[in-house]
Amino acid sequence: MKKIVIGGQIDKEEVKQLVEAYGENRYDISIKNDLDAAMAVKTGAADYYIGACNTGGGGALAMALALLGRQECVTISMPGHVMSDEEIIENVKSGKKAFGFTAQHKEIVIPIIMKALNEQ
Amino acid sequence: METSKILELVVIALLGGLCAILSNKGIAVFNDGLRPILPEFLEGKIGKKELAATSFALSFGLVIGFGIPVSIGASIILVHSILLMTDIIGSWAPEGKLGLALSGGVGAIYGIGLVLGLQKVVDLFAMLPVNFMPSLSVVGAPIIVAFSIFPAIAIASQHGMKKGAVALGATLLTLVFVKRFGTITLDNGTAIKLSAEGMSLLVGMIFMIIFAMMVKSDGTESNQALVSVFLERVNRIKKNWLWLALTGGLVAAATSLLIIAGDPISLNLLKDAKFNEAALAAFARGIGFIPLVFSTAIVTGVYSPAGTTFAFVAGIALHGNPAVAFVLGALLMFVEVQLLSLVAKALDKFPGIRDMGEHIRTAMNKVLEIALLVGGAMACEQIAPGIGYFWVIGLLLLNRKAKKPVVELAVGPMATISLGIIVNILYLIGLFIPVVAK
Repeated sequence: MKKIVIGGQIDKEEVKQLVEAYGENRYDISIKNDLDAAMAVKTGAADYYIGACNTGGGGALAMALALLGRQECVTISMPGHVMSDEEIIENVKSGKKAFGFTAQHKEIVIPIIMKALNEQ
Repeated sequence: METSKILELVVIALLGGLCAILSNKGIAVFNDGLRPILPEFLEGKIGKKELAATSFALSFGLVIGFGIPVSIGASIILVHSILLMTDIIGSWAPEGKLGLALSGGVGAIYGIGLVLGLQKVVDLFAMLPVNFMPSLSVVGAPIIVAFSIFPAIAIASQHGMKKGAVALGATLLTLVFVKRFGTITLDNGTAIKLSAEGMSLLVGMIFMIIFAMMVKSDGTESNQALVSVFLERVNRIKKNWLWLALTGGLVAAATSLLIIAGDPISLNLLKDAKFNEAALAAFARGIGFIPLVFSTAIVTGVYSPAGTTFAFVAGIALHGNPAVAFVLGALLMFVEVQLLSLVAKALDKFPGIRDMGEHIRTAMNKVLEIALLVGGAMACEQIAPGIGYFWVIGLLLLNRKAKKPVVELAVGPMATISLGIIVNILYLIGLFIPVVAK
């Protein structure tokens, strides 16, 4: 069973619920602080990192960016910009492991991220 | 121009210029999301173009959609309006000496332009046939009492509803009690009035810290590990202590002149000259930012020009004394930079405190979202009775559906400003009769 860690800074409980709702019971999902979550992906203890904050790139992904590097991370949304569905799917399929977005967009982006992950 | 105004402009120009230079040199940026990108640039993994594009994408929306709307009407500038823009300026300017000069120059001009520009906007609004400036200040009104609830919300999200409810009860009780009995009359007849909002915030914060301290460490030492892995980057920050101390000093000085504020809560409290409450709120926010600022700083080697934001607290506490505030702000920044690794290690011992940061920020955010929305609704209804609620609720829900929305925090202020402009247009074409001010 693949493991997903919820990192980021805000609305973690809500993010987790959405990830569960769209994860089709395929994942082991746990909430961690952003540092431990990023560390878990780096050490292979978890497969994916999902996190939200107010800006999408800041608290959501800062630790993941720093520990995993930019190649493995993608900012799905930031204030004033949400990636198109196709772009999100393309990013997931290209093997990114950490996904950050603005908490305001969680209902929009999580279903698409999860759909793409389910198809992996 | 008066001397005080000139001093304000000099301080803001120095702050804007210096922060743009620090961004250009990759020493400090304000956006937490930009910080992890900088090492990639400094190590040559991405180019200048990509860095500039990223910084613009990350920050510009927040300047226009959050910083500016919250600042208009208070005549105090939310610091995001300045420092997010200096992030952009510094990352757009080329490298080398030319880049430094450009960053410094454009940053300074931007700072001055922002202060004068906002003043112009306020003057312009005041000249409109339907003056909605008094209503604009209503937007922040709910914040003044609502902010003291945030520790209880943070406790509820970190430790569960039961403890949250206990804290809420204690906070409310303090609020009611101090409101009723908080005026102490001394023998010589002078009365000392305790601030009910300030005292209840203090009680809430004490609960929050005690609950967080009670969380037992599980033995993980992730921060400690981080410091040893990224020792070189920690040392890079320490090496730049002089630059950082200078910006810390300028942030404190600008705050003490009431030109800038670090967050919408203290901004609205400062606007009403509630200095103690503003200092407390800024202090609480600072605690919330230690884990985030410190951990991103350690892994990136890049700091924030406002540090853990305690420089704002120093500025508020020393309002009216920019010179002393400068010294204290600089000293604070120096100390926090020196303590970087030590505090990070200490956070491992108190995981509850480390986690408290994100709960504080989430809670403050929730309180602000609702307070600014309610304030916006009251302000809009005051501008145009019978239309105001329609406008605010409509904009809020449309914004939620929009692909390119503004930050939810800014919906209230933006709705109020836009409605103010709309009623003026309607007035000009004879479709709106202004409400006579009471």
